[in-house]
Order: sequence, then structure tokens, then C-alpha cells
Amino acid sequence: MHDQNKLWRIALYGVLLYAAVYYLLPLYVMVTTSVKSMDEIRAGNLIALPMSITFDAWTKAWATACTGVDCNGLSGYFWNSVKMVIPAVLISTSLGALNGYVLSKWRFKGSELTFALILFGVFIPFQVVLLPMAQTLGWFGLARSVAGLIFVHVVFGIASTTLFFRNYYVGIPDELIKAARLDGAGFWRIFFKVVLPMSTPIVMVVLIWQFTQIWNDFLFGVVFSSGDSQPITVGLNNLANTSTSVKEYNVDMAAAIIAALPTIVVYVLAGKYFVRGLTAGAVKG
Amino acid sequence: MGALAIKNVTKRFGDTHILKGIDIHIDAGQFLILVGPSGCGKSTLMNIIAGLEAPTSGEVQIGERVVNDVAPKDRDIAMVFQSYALYPTMNVRQNIAFGMETRGVPRKEQEETITRVSKMLQIDHLLDRKPGQLSGGQRQRVAMGRALARNPTLFLFDEPLSNLDAKLRVEMRTEIKQLHHRLKTTIVYVTHDQIEAMTLGDRIAVMKDGVIQQFGSPEEIYERPANLFVAGFIGSPSMNFIDCHLAEQGGDVGISLQSEGGVRFVPLLDGRRFADRLGQKVILGVRPEQIEVAEEGEPALECKVHLTEPTGPDTMIFTQINGKEVIARVHPRAAGRPGDSMRLKLDVRKVVLFDPQTEARLN
Repeated sequence: MHDQNKLWRIALYGVLLYAAVYYLLPLYVMVTTSVKSMDEIRAGNLIALPMSITFDAWTKAWATACTGVDCNGLSGYFWNSVKMVIPAVLISTSLGALNGYVLSKWRFKGSELTFALILFGVFIPFQVVLLPMAQTLGWFGLARSVAGLIFVHVVFGIASTTLFFRNYYVGIPDELIKAARLDGAGFWRIFFKVVLPMSTPIVMVVLIWQFTQIWNDFLFGVVFSSGDSQPITVGLNNLANTSTSVKEYNVDMAAAIIAALPTIVVYVLAGKYFVRGLTAGAVKG
Repeated sequence: MGALAIKNVTKRFGDTHILKGIDIHIDAGQFLILVGPSGCGKSTLMNIIAGLEAPTSGEVQIGERVVNDVAPKDRDIAMVFQSYALYPTMNVRQNIAFGMETRGVPRKEQEETITRVSKMLQIDHLLDRKPGQLSGGQRQRVAMGRALARNPTLFLFDEPLSNLDAKLRVEMRTEIKQLHHRLKTTIVYVTHDQIEAMTLGDRIAVMKDGVIQQFGSPEEIYERPANLFVAGFIGSPSMNFIDCHLAEQGGDVGISLQSEGGVRFVPLLDGRRFADRLGQKVILGVRPEQIEVAEEGEPALECKVHLTEPTGPDTMIFTQINGKEVIARVHPRAAGRPGDSMRLKLDVRKVVLFDPQTEARLN
């Protein structure tokens, strides 16, 4: 009995170890390749540890790699993404919180229908709206600008942020709102003083969700921006597709890590809230 | 002076009539209980008084003022909720202060109020705690403290004790009563618990299906229930309902009771009033404590004991009269054992009669 148990343990850990290696291996290859020199890459084997560590590929990917005709690396794209992602995340999250608050605590005639229609936005494939959105951005004078990208991401983000917040707020007892109304608080005071302070877990979930979605978006970036407004995903694509005499794997790897780093950092810093927030609705406050 | 007047208030959601014409008047300082089974409309009525819902028709008057179009915050009321509805992110002090802050009460006055209220409710050592760190009873006190800080003309309590365990519920019930004696503020209190209703209320409105079945003092409601529903709802164990026929014997009008041990004719007080109903079916309502053990030599009904339930001070005797199970509350020493025969009599001064069709009280 005891031995059998032990055997099970070994098998279990074996499977877990295998799964961990399986998922970590690409990351390992990316990191090690990015700090190898091209000579070593050509000579050595894919999973060998680097013989000497050099960050030349990183500086090149950041500052001098060619992305088409320009050879200024990813830095410009990176800052474009930062300029796009911060306002887009903040605006879509704020609007989602407000929508969720209204749709759960200040129901009006047709509020359920409104919610259903907003929810529809979650299921619309992005490709369907590319042309109408391009037209709309043109009318607004926002075509090919970071502001235009922010607008698109906010509009598309509202559906999911509203869904998240609304479902979280449904779990907040209505009596709390009634109590605040009797205490004399109005719409905004209840929102800011009572509801929002209770929202930390869901705010974290939505921030991470939106940040990841918007930072990783390629389709909107490649369609609705050009030149100096393009986000990092487009930059990475350009960098990897710009053909020079040799394929610089170390630069490509460094560039890919640079592009992925912010989402990893955000998840590491706030990830515990993410798991907690997703299950928070089930727990009484 | 009138403290609260509800005039022909109705509430409808589509075709569903929640309230069908409610009329209630109480004086300042009275403790009004709205009691009834769930779905009777009592909470809706409470929300209408608070201004959280609007009536479909009718008028609500608090003090001398019609408040139909007055916002909840301007009605000079405070409410204690079933779930306490404490703001979870604020500590006790902030919870109590929130309403005062909203109304722009000066900080010094806020501090004074918090001190006064928290002392009164013995929560002054909890002021810096969050609601999550409090026990059920403490949360209940904080919720009351928040209402007290308002110093309103009308307190509304919405089933405030139903989330507490049995022992605490009894303690808090007494505290609420003491608080009312001390403050003498008008209170409207919603409950589905008839014991809370009886122990706390000056005036009780028994509700069912959106209609007030009876509105009166606890004594009136207990002694002279308006109909079968009120009679059965108030009192524990419930009033016994015995089907019988009105009959005449030796010039007296009365009813005939049959137990497993014999038949007896019981003349009613004032029985001649029912002379025109002779031979008709009526329902006799008799509370368990109105069935007594007969003295030696007194006329009595021989009843067979089916089951006994000792509660300590009293023992419940289960027997059968006119084919119905009947409970009698007797002194433990007088109680027989299951299978024994007991000589029981009715306290005819207190029994009530109901019409089987209309279910209204006859005497």
C-alpha cells in the first residue's frame, strides 16, 4: 500500500516535471539564444548553454535593428505601445466599471437588453469590423494615429470590461446601495466611496486582461496605424520579416522577449489578484 | 401627533398586486410591527415608507408631511437592514460617520455623535475594526449605531434579527425594546417571526397577500384575532381549530365536543347571539393554554393522551377532539402519559368562533 502510494507520487511528479519542461523549453531557448553570438548559434546546438554571454543582440533589437527601411530597432514601437496601452486600458476599465455599476445597481427599463447588446461585442470577430472602423476613424480624423488605436481598443474593450464588472457587482448586495442612499449618498458618491473600494480584485483582473489584450494585439495595430504610430507587435513582425543577408536569430529572440516582457511583468506583479479576482464573486464580502 | 400615516397604498408590478390598499396610522413613539409570511408584501411596504420604491397609488405621510415625492435621504428616517449592509471597506467609525459626512455635519459634531452612539451600544472598543472582523451580534449593533447617529423621526428595521442565532436573537430583541423605551422614537419593524411581533410591538399589522388582515395591539391580535389566518399565525403552538356544529341544549346555545373518551355539550358565553346559526358548522378556535385540566367533580371531557412534549415550564398534550388533533398546554405535574386518559375543559370565556366560509371571527 505504502509503496504503491510512493509509486504514484513519482509518476505524478514525473508528469508535472515533463509538463513544466515542455512549456519552459521555448522560453529557455529564447533567452539563451538571445545572449549568444551569431557564431555560437551557427556552431552550437539549440539547447546548449551559451559559452559567453553578450547583450549585443538586445541592444541591437532595441536600438539599431532594421524594421523595413528604418534601422532604429524596436524602441520607437515600444513607446508607441506604451502610449497606446496605458490610456486605452485606463479608459476602457473606467468605462467598464461605470457600465457594470449602472447595469447591476441602477437598472432601468431596457437595461438588460443594453447589457445583452454590449455582450454581443465580446463575440464579434475583429475582422468583421476592420473596414467600417477604418471609415469611422477617417471621419474622426484619427486614422493612422496612436489616438485612433486607443479609440479602437477602448471601443472593443468596453464589451469585456463591462461584462467583468457587471458580473462582479451583481454579487454586491443591493441593500448596501439602499443603505448608502438612505445615508444621503448619490450616484457618484456611492460609486466612489462604497462600490469602487470593494472592487480591487475585479479591477486587477480587468487591468491585466485589458493590458494583455491590447499590448498583444497585432491585427488592429497593423491595419489602423502606420509609420511612427505602429505598436510593438507590428514592429516585431517587421523586424523579423526584414530580410538581410543573414537571419539574426539572437536579435529576433531578444526582440520577441522585449515585446513580451511587459505582459509578463504585469502578470508577475498582479497575478495573485488575477486568480483571486476571478473567484472573488463566490466569496461573501 | 401622528408619526406615520399610510393611506390606501397599493403597489403593482405588471399584473401582480403586491399591496392592495394598505391603511396604517400610528402615533409618535409607537412601535409598529409589520408581520406576515414571506411574500405578504411587508418588505415592499417598508421600502415604500423608506422611499426606496414608489407606491403605485396612495399616500405616505411621515410626521405632518406627505413624502411621496421626497427622496429617501430627505425623509428623516434611518434603516437597519437584514444583512446589516455595513460598508465592508470602511471601519466601524467610518460606517457610522458616512451618513453624517454626506450631509455635511461638522467634524466635531460627528465625533460627539460617534462617541455617544458607540457608548450607548457598547461598540466603542470596535470603532477601528472592519465589519469583516466583527461577529454577527456586533455587526447588528453597528448597523443600529449607524441608524442612531442619524437621530431620525422614524426608524425602520427590516428583519434585523433573522441572521442571528437563537440565543443572540432573544438578547438583541430585548435590547431593541430597551432602546425604544429609552429613545421613544417611532419604529417600524418588519418581521416574519410572530414572537418578535408580540414581544416588541405596540401596534401590529398582520399581513397576508398584500392585505392587512388585522391591525391592533398585541393583546387584541392574540385574544381577538380577526380571522382564521391571524389566529393561526400568531401564537406558538398554534391555536387549535375544531370543526363543530352549533346546537341548543337546555336553553343554552353551545357546541358539542367528542373525544375518544366521550361526548360533551359545552355552552357558549353569550350563546344566544348565535341562535340564528343553530345547526350550522362553525370552527372553534381555542389556544393550547385555554384547554385546562378539570378539577375533581367538575364537568369535563375525557381525552386520551396521544403524545406529550415537555418544554420545561409546560407540557404539551396531544389529543383528539372532533376528529382533529388538539394540543393542550398544561402544568407538567398535571400532564398524563401517552395512553392515559385526562379530564380536560375549555376556558369558554376566551374561545373564539370562526365562520368556515368567510373565515372571519363570529364572536
